Amino acid sequence: MPKITVVKNILDANDRIAEENRKIFDKEKIYVLNLMSSPGAGKTSIVERTIAVLQGKYKIGVIEGDIQGSADAERIAKLGVPVVQINTGGACHIDGNMIREALPGLDLTQTDLLIAENVGNLVCPAEFKIGENVKVMVLSTPEGSDKPAKYPLMFQQSEAMIINKIDLLPYVDFDMAKAKKDALTLNRNLKIFEVSCKTSAGLKDWFNWLSERIESFRSK
Amino acid sequence: MACSRGSWTMHELSIIRSILDIIEEYAEEYRFSKVKSMKISFGRLSRIEPQVLEFTFDIQSTGTKAEGAALEFDIKPIIIHCFSCEKDVELEQYAAECPQCKGSEVLLAGGTEEIQLLEIDVD
Repeated sequence: MPKITVVKNILDANDRIAEENRKIFDKEKIYVLNLMSSPGAGKTSIVERTIAVLQGKYKIGVIEGDIQGSADAERIAKLGVPVVQINTGGACHIDGNMIREALPGLDLTQTDLLIAENVGNLVCPAEFKIGENVKVMVLSTPEGSDKPAKYPLMFQQSEAMIINKIDLLPYVDFDMAKAKKDALTLNRNLKIFEVSCKTSAGLKDWFNWLSERIESFRSK
Repeated sequence: MACSRGSWTMHELSIIRSILDIIEEYAEEYRFSKVKSMKISFGRLSRIEPQVLEFTFDIQSTGTKAEGAALEFDIKPIIIHCFSCEKDVELEQYAAECPQCKGSEVLLAGGTEEIQLLEIDVD
């Protein structure tokens, strides 16, 4: 038998599930944020601060992806929003199927904004769609400004980058201009926010940007 | 992918499972019983490790039509476009700088291509 030409995206199966998730979210008018970063960059803190500001305006639900444990979900639950913990059982990312299985744990008719906090990892989550409206990544200043060059895919796939822990700039060797320039080389349209969850600096711009995105989605 | 070392379930596992699913679909359509080799392509910056992919494949393909198949990789190079030189340059390692004019007005133009199954050679 001759060679069979296939030319198929190997992750198509995941993409299809992500599209099915997207249809469910569209039907219920749910804006979905896929939040990614390395471990310890401050994803959960960003989620906490975002909930505190936006929960008066939107009904928010959270999916927490972690390899194991429920510490982050407990932090979120304290804020009074519904949260579902996904334990990936060792997997380094959340995928479309894990999100699909988590959905029965949320009342989708009572959700305007769904925040999916991905597993802390700058590599793998970038390639797995979950049915999100937007991918946002967090980079924290102690991680160093060489990260865009080392993990280009994450920076290329994200629509926005939150540079967190800017309060630590005097103490760490983080070249802000280089980090931004390198990231923009990978992704010319990347929206960049410089924030500190500790001091609240810069967070307002992030909240406004996200609100605008949600509003424009809802008015469609 | 990079989180493949140690005891973690890895990115390569998801990839290999998807490949085996695609092969099952094709086996039904084309009625073959064994895969001799297959060609896989991906961008170099997707940080997929060919060795880890092979290792994962060997374990996961046991008892399937793909058991023992050889994997052939077509890895797309890292290319940046330099606006000063007005050309594409291939890099060994990604850097936001043109290796020729040292200019930093560059844009990533290749190397993050999604992983694809291109071809299978069957019996």
